[in-house]
Amino acid sequence: MKRKNIAMTARPPVISAILWILHRLVVLLVVGVFLVPAVWLLSISFKPPTEWQVFPPTLIPRSPTLDNYIVLFKPEAPRGTAAAMLRVTEPVTKSFLNSLIVVPIATALSVTVGFLAAYAVARFRVGGAFMPFFVLTTRMFPPVAFAVPLLVYYRWLRLIDTPLGLILIYAGFTLAFSLWMTKGFIEGVPRHIEEAAILDGASPWRVLFTITLPIVKGGLAATTLFVFILNWTEFLYALIFTSTKTITVPVQLSHYVGAVGRFYGPQAALGVVASIPVVILGYMIQRYLVTGFSFGLIRR
Amino acid sequence: MAQAGVLLLRLQNVKKVFNSFVAVDNVTLEVAEGEFVCFLGPSGCGKTTTLRMIAGLEMPTEGEIFLREKRITYLPPQQRAIGFVFQNYALFWHMTVYENLVFGLRLRRFPAAEINKRVHEIAERFELMDLLKVRAALLDLSAMQRVAIARTLLIDPHLLLLDEPLNNIRPGLREMMRADLKRMQQELGKTMIYVTHDQEEALTLGDRIVVMSKGKIEQVGSPQEVYDVPATLFVAGFIGRPPMNLFDVQYEVENGHSWLVWRQHRWCVDKVRNQIEAAQPEKGLVLGVRPEKLKISYEASGIPAKVLLVQPLGRKDVLTLDLEGTTVHGVIPSELRINVGDVVFVEFPPEGMHVFSTATKGAIVHGIS
Repeated sequence: MKRKNIAMTARPPVISAILWILHRLVVLLVVGVFLVPAVWLLSISFKPPTEWQVFPPTLIPRSPTLDNYIVLFKPEAPRGTAAAMLRVTEPVTKSFLNSLIVVPIATALSVTVGFLAAYAVARFRVGGAFMPFFVLTTRMFPPVAFAVPLLVYYRWLRLIDTPLGLILIYAGFTLAFSLWMTKGFIEGVPRHIEEAAILDGASPWRVLFTITLPIVKGGLAATTLFVFILNWTEFLYALIFTSTKTITVPVQLSHYVGAVGRFYGPQAALGVVASIPVVILGYMIQRYLVTGFSFGLIRR
Repeated sequence: MAQAGVLLLRLQNVKKVFNSFVAVDNVTLEVAEGEFVCFLGPSGCGKTTTLRMIAGLEMPTEGEIFLREKRITYLPPQQRAIGFVFQNYALFWHMTVYENLVFGLRLRRFPAAEINKRVHEIAERFELMDLLKVRAALLDLSAMQRVAIARTLLIDPHLLLLDEPLNNIRPGLREMMRADLKRMQQELGKTMIYVTHDQEEALTLGDRIVVMSKGKIEQVGSPQEVYDVPATLFVAGFIGRPPMNLFDVQYEVENGHSWLVWRQHRWCVDKVRNQIEAAQPEKGLVLGVRPEKLKISYEASGIPAKVLLVQPLGRKDVLTLDLEGTTVHGVIPSELRINVGDVVFVEFPPEGMHVFSTATKGAIVHGIS
């Protein structure tokens, strides 16, 4: 903010106006590039089957329709020829609810445990210098390598096709990210600030919750969003460890395939619907995200 | 006011070892009530570690620490009533100045009325009244320092420890804040221990200076003492700008007279013969002379030297001389107008000559006349 003020006063108004326009153009260009897939998704979700693969592609549907959205929620009343071929019988509400239960709980669990573990590792060297790396090694196998052993355990523990089963897997597999991301933020908090609080008579828990946590909350927000998106879009384990009761949105998405090909319309419609929670979450924690991503810049 | 006070803090053979690195080695020190003590030494000399042990942020590996004759060696920091001002002030920058100030008092469960009274008193005293609602991260450096010190004073500590609080502050403001600090200490009458690697700061602030090197105390004394009668070679070379000139010399006895010999030059040391002979002079001696004690002139008496560099410092000039291949510093009044490239003559005044032992690194005698 300050820097902009200085630049505006230091340059002739014409030049600063041109710079301002250039700046906006660059921003627009970057945003445009990032938005292309989203706009394309939105466009297809309103197209009838005949327009899904026309060449040259059109951005604005020639005969827009809501069929793709209707078929998500009412699969038993298919409209048009293409939808009639769908083998999906479950409405999307069920998988959506499953995802809305599993993903936030798993994310909260992962970030909470990750944060506490990161604090222990960063400040008290719990587990020795090798510990954080050891946690990271859980991400160094192809995830599918864990699938069969986990399937054996899960059958035995009766966790297959249960929300709890997925929550545990999701929390476990994103823990390494939670730990490493929050560890970076915690290490950015000067140790002296914590020591000052200790000298003032604060217990370790109070230091953690009244000093460290408020300072790194931006970083926690960034970590939460990152882990949430990872879990929200996870497909492999959701496919393997659920069958009918606990399927999640990504699995549901894969069901919109018929004998003759992919149902791009309903898939796009589900993509749009599935983005909504992520967008809402991102919007909610937006003001923390800025400090989260620019953490290194604000600290003294 | 310094030495007259009652004993407040006593460190007894304190040692701190990190893994196998000895950070603080056998430190014994007494600090009286109301004193302003400066720990001075290069970085890594153990001064900050010593401070942290006094505060309780580190536990000594060996030795004991007493505060008002009560053993506090392993007491948790919050039970010691010692204030600590960190290098970067370590304010809680997500909180307002007011929240920073009340943090300790609330944790110590002071009644709300008492908290309010104390905070307003101290805010008044430190000119923080207008800033109480400002977030700590937005303060300027001088205000940060005031908050950091005010915060530690609120709990009425026996002792205030300051760890290089003026380190990151630009020159100019730095001198101002230093003066503020000194004035404040005198007004409050609080005992302070101040860590710094800046000798100018230590010499201007401290009632007493503790010079440290490699974990050991080299000398404890008033600013005048550490300057005029350095106890070790380290102190001689560390204090003073430019530092003391040091020459490796031999001790010789000839025709019943004792001499210090440097190349073909020699100085008679009959008057301090006993001290020197008691200190195993055969193992080598070092002769030290402060730059401003050297008599430098164009008059042909003494050792000739070539002027390599003249640094004018207002009323004084600092000379860098080539004295028979050895670089020597001298300080002279600028009126002498000595130019680069000239040949001057250097005399060593007997009262300004310090003799050190190469073996023990300790001082043997100050002044040989």
